[in-house]
Amino acid sequence: MNIKNVIIALVAVFSCTVCAQKSEYPIAAIAEELKDNANAVVRLEKTDINIASQRSMNVKTYRAITVLNQKGLSAVNGYENYDKTTTVKSIEAVVYDVFGNEIKRIKRKDFKDQSAAGEGTLFSDNRVLFLDYTPVNYPFTIVYQSEVATSNTAFIPKWYPVSEFYVSVEKSIFNISYPNNLGFKKKEINFSNFTIQKTTDTATQLSYSASNIPALKSEPYASQSLLFPRVMLGLEIFNLEGIDGNATSWIEFGKWWNSKILEGKNELSEETKNKMIALVGNEKDPIAKAKLIYNYVQQKVRYVSIQEGIGGWMPMSAKDVDRLGYGDCKALSNYTKALLEAVGVQSFYTKVYGDRYKIDIVSDFVSTQGNHIILAIPNGNNYTFLECTSQDDPFGYQANFTDDRDVLIIKPEGGEIVRTKNYEDNGNCQNSIGSYVLTEEGDLTGNIKMMSSGAQYGHKTNVEKLQPVEKEEHYKEYWDHINNLKIEKSSFSNDKEKIQFTENVQISAKNYGSVLNGKMMFVVNVYNLNSNSVKRVRNRKSPFEIQRGYLDTDEVNVALPKGYKIEFLPDNFELKGKFGECKTEVVKKEDGSLVYKRSLLVNKGVYSSAEYEDYRLFMEQISRNDNAKIILTKI
Amino acid sequence: MKPKFLLTVFTAFIVVCTSNAQDFRLGKVSLQELKEKVHPKDSSAVAAVLFEKAENKLVYNQENGFEIELVVRARIKIYKKGGYDLANKTLRYYLVNNSREKVSFSEVATYNLVDGKIEKTKLKSDGEFDEVINKYWGQKKIVMPNVKEGSVIEYEYVLHSPNIGNPRDWYFQSDIPVNYSEYINSIPEYFVYNTNLKGFISPKVTVEKHNKSLRIDSKVRVSEAGFSATRTNFSSEDIPYTETRTTYLVENMPAIKEESFVNNIRNYTTSLEQELSMTQFPNSMPKMYSTNWDAVVKTIYDYEDFGLELNKTGYFEEDLNQILKGITSVEEKIAVIFTFVKTKVKWNGYHGYSCEEGVRKAYKTGVGNVADINLMLTAMLRYSELNANPVLLSTRSNGISFFPNRTAFNYVISAVETDKGLILMDATEKYSVPNVLPLRDLNWSGRLIRKNGSSEDVDLMPKVNSKEFANVALDVDNHGVINGKVKLYHANHEALRFRQNHIVTNKDAYLESLENKNNNIEINDYVRENELDLAKPIIENYTFKDTKTAEIINNKIYLSPLIFFSLRENPFKQEVREYPVDFGYPIQEKYSITLKIPEGYEVESLPKAMTVDGGENIGMYKFVIGNNNGVIQIVSTSDIYSPIVTPEYYQVLKDFFQKSIEKQNEKIVLKKI
Repeated sequence: MNIKNVIIALVAVFSCTVCAQKSEYPIAAIAEELKDNANAVVRLEKTDINIASQRSMNVKTYRAITVLNQKGLSAVNGYENYDKTTTVKSIEAVVYDVFGNEIKRIKRKDFKDQSAAGEGTLFSDNRVLFLDYTPVNYPFTIVYQSEVATSNTAFIPKWYPVSEFYVSVEKSIFNISYPNNLGFKKKEINFSNFTIQKTTDTATQLSYSASNIPALKSEPYASQSLLFPRVMLGLEIFNLEGIDGNATSWIEFGKWWNSKILEGKNELSEETKNKMIALVGNEKDPIAKAKLIYNYVQQKVRYVSIQEGIGGWMPMSAKDVDRLGYGDCKALSNYTKALLEAVGVQSFYTKVYGDRYKIDIVSDFVSTQGNHIILAIPNGNNYTFLECTSQDDPFGYQANFTDDRDVLIIKPEGGEIVRTKNYEDNGNCQNSIGSYVLTEEGDLTGNIKMMSSGAQYGHKTNVEKLQPVEKEEHYKEYWDHINNLKIEKSSFSNDKEKIQFTENVQISAKNYGSVLNGKMMFVVNVYNLNSNSVKRVRNRKSPFEIQRGYLDTDEVNVALPKGYKIEFLPDNFELKGKFGECKTEVVKKEDGSLVYKRSLLVNKGVYSSAEYEDYRLFMEQISRNDNAKIILTKI
Repeated sequence: MKPKFLLTVFTAFIVVCTSNAQDFRLGKVSLQELKEKVHPKDSSAVAAVLFEKAENKLVYNQENGFEIELVVRARIKIYKKGGYDLANKTLRYYLVNNSREKVSFSEVATYNLVDGKIEKTKLKSDGEFDEVINKYWGQKKIVMPNVKEGSVIEYEYVLHSPNIGNPRDWYFQSDIPVNYSEYINSIPEYFVYNTNLKGFISPKVTVEKHNKSLRIDSKVRVSEAGFSATRTNFSSEDIPYTETRTTYLVENMPAIKEESFVNNIRNYTTSLEQELSMTQFPNSMPKMYSTNWDAVVKTIYDYEDFGLELNKTGYFEEDLNQILKGITSVEEKIAVIFTFVKTKVKWNGYHGYSCEEGVRKAYKTGVGNVADINLMLTAMLRYSELNANPVLLSTRSNGISFFPNRTAFNYVISAVETDKGLILMDATEKYSVPNVLPLRDLNWSGRLIRKNGSSEDVDLMPKVNSKEFANVALDVDNHGVINGKVKLYHANHEALRFRQNHIVTNKDAYLESLENKNNNIEINDYVRENELDLAKPIIENYTFKDTKTAEIINNKIYLSPLIFFSLRENPFKQEVREYPVDFGYPIQEKYSITLKIPEGYEVESLPKAMTVDGGENIGMYKFVIGNNNGVIQIVSTSDIYSPIVTPEYYQVLKDFFQKSIEKQNEKIVLKKI
């Protein structure tokens, strides 16, 4: 044994005795208020980031978490991703029992090593080392430690003192050090409701500390991004997968992205270019030309997600997409851009967060952001955005995925933040016209034509692609309040020019009206019941948001059964408020039939937590009125 | 060095079956196939398998002896964009050293119709990906180029696998139509496989025998049993043998569709399973693997990580003696040992009837797989002089196998034979009690193995009703507001399910979801009893206020007698049913309700009492109602007798539910006096 080994052995023995002596994180030491609503408690989380240079960053994590029950297990987050530019230098965990006695050590070799390609990703060279620990008893405490080194400095991990709902925090500490010549910057978000201290803030170092944060409950219509405190961090001089970068403004950032990531990717063969020129023919209008090209792309390619190295950022070349007929969002946007260029239409690669929930590119923090790429075509003073991964979307359709948010347009002359199209509440329509007939036994037959546009168009079109059995299932779920429902026939028309989807459905239902003691009772509103009740929430804490409003209108003819007279008709109903308005009426016609009219407008908006109960009651009144019944008496 | 042991195969030409004009050779895509716009028998199909031909062979390999070679050739038509997924093909392969599999793709191409001409685009290396998923499995993926609506794609793949015991299952049927699926199995006489065909559609099977020979050129090392190179043998001769060629053919298979309440759709998908049951090499004794259940069980029992582990006792004796002190009755012993194992060792989530850690280590570390835990349990029960044995089973996710084979099983539980019958236990599930097994175990029957190697079938499906019953007192005021008090019991499997789902749920979140589920009532004074007293039913007590159920129309109050407890929609919506409905376990739901009507009101009409008899294969629904001086009494009882209802009773089942639902939703009408 040489000297060096002796020292290592001594150190090992020494450090072992140290931890054997003291018991770590006994559960009795947790304050009561941190146990409320908590599935896990962060006892101490310490993140140390050291940026040594533009091409070198080291992240050390120490995380001691007490897991109170099985739902808290996910808070351990015992994993690290790695790839060609990121290595896991060390990773380990120690488990302690309720009293803080050590019960298990988990070494690197006990961590599972697995491909990190998620569902829907065809190939990725990103891998993950993760902890697969089966708890013997709850509660227990786990101390997880890791060190990761990377040459990527374009992304500095954000600091999240609170990372999940139902997890409280005893203490969370964050340190980052950096050379003073790389243009380090930060942005603090949602600090106002939390006690967070900035302990150091110098030219080369920044530190925060947060303590005693009770667990937050997840509440409907609220999002983590509005609630959780966090710090964004970045460098003006950085490295992305081996490529050096330098940007202090979006203009510079855009120029860099354009020249380093996109340049040279847009070449096409002469043959393909000529094909495009032939395709647009004599068309002069750039938008009309773009429509033709977009349609061509939708027929030619399919979406496939492949994440390899810089390929995670750099699009596959337009030539390759042309040859292979597939690609991811980057490749397909870049390809469409190249085809448009061939017919003289200018368009721009655009970075966006694609999500049903609206997330902005943070416009006052120049950095690599976004999780998706779309294409922007100048259209007058505005832009038309194309979703190039979709084989079905109408030209320019964005609702429910990239609408109403800040995005970054990459132009050769620089980047520019632009807001995407907002779908107005009263444009997100479903207009229905229909009728139904009741027999003396209460059996119903009817038909309805529903025309959906705006954001509602996007909710509906999928039904077109369903298999016959699924289609039937869909409508039986959609009208699940109608017992004995039979779908007799359904047909659709999808007008992609007007962006309107029309469903024509014929239904029947035995015993829709319940006949009892010479009376028949039935809910007059057959086709559009607002039954999705808004959950009651105890002590709501978070503000809530209705992200997209909508407008539904219905006009339905009701033919009453023979041999009955009307005993009771529901009153006309009108409700107006900040959340929207609802109006229904039942009109008697001369021929003895009825017309049921309904309109419901829900406004988008951000509301305070106190207003939530008002909203719940607003919707409850509507749903109660939607259940209004007609009573008929046998003559 | 040249291979010294040559396998000479006498002319075996593939006879191309040409019952129609289609050419089943790769590369021979026809104009007609490319022009086809929709599938002729299923116009909604997004894609279809035009043909798929598999050849499974045992081939000799100098280093490894016999290996499986599976060659698959396929042609697929893409009709719609929804079928684009078919243009990405993934094949998994096993990675572990001595049973490492090899996979290669070839002849991969996409065919399109361009200006009336066939255009072929070949797959290049940039469309092929190889990925290590974890330490056991890798996968190869191909992404076909140039795929559009109307494209035809083709590929061939070859799988070499040393795992001759279990050839891969072959699925003739898929979630898209399959026009032609053929599986040819060529097996030398030395090997005998058990085969099992699943599904509702039977393939056409033809068997041929061929004479072949193996030629040994010079001295070789051959083994006594098999060709796995162990001793030196000097010979140079042709060894004649017979090869059995079995062809399975199915044409025009419809797409298989998922249905609700199906145990596992794979049980009904037309497919072929095989397992090696016997080997007999020249001049050696036959070796049995699985010929009948007894042989299968014997083989498993003889595995070191099964039988040997089961016989170990030393590691727990001291502890067990301690906790069993003074305990004599069988019931108590069972209860104490079961609880002891559940608290001592936690399940790591892995299935299997073979121990992973070994019982000793699992006992020490407190973590183990299914076998570690339940074999330990069995050993302890035996040690305490109970007649305990392991029961092998296949979980619901693993599907059902009807023929004797080792891989039919993926799980083991424990059983004690008592004078009151068999008691089944699974100590991997912390909220389970004896004879209440977790749902994953409830899959037809298992196989009990005794010490002497004999075995028998054990019905796993619960015989005892699981129960949910409620005592409810309601008070309606003259605004139609209902105030109520509820005592709700969940017993047996319902208790297990409740504990699994709700014990660790945050109380507020649970109440909010309960309120929301129940017509947005407002719940107060919520108390839960017997949460962790597993032998007893879980009881929920609460009071509530319901402003939505009762409606006032024209000065009359209308309300349904079961208020929010009524079933509002029929769970069976399909018009026709293909596969059995699987409830998991028999269940009884009973609600006893007293309803006090407001001052100044009287009953105008009540729903009538009713009984719906669904027959012995389904169940019984009873609705009883009475009015006693302004207090209405209601008892609603629903019994589902059998955990499984076959499709021929589907319509009866649907009507049974429909009638009960209509009854539950009929209105009580109260009017002003």
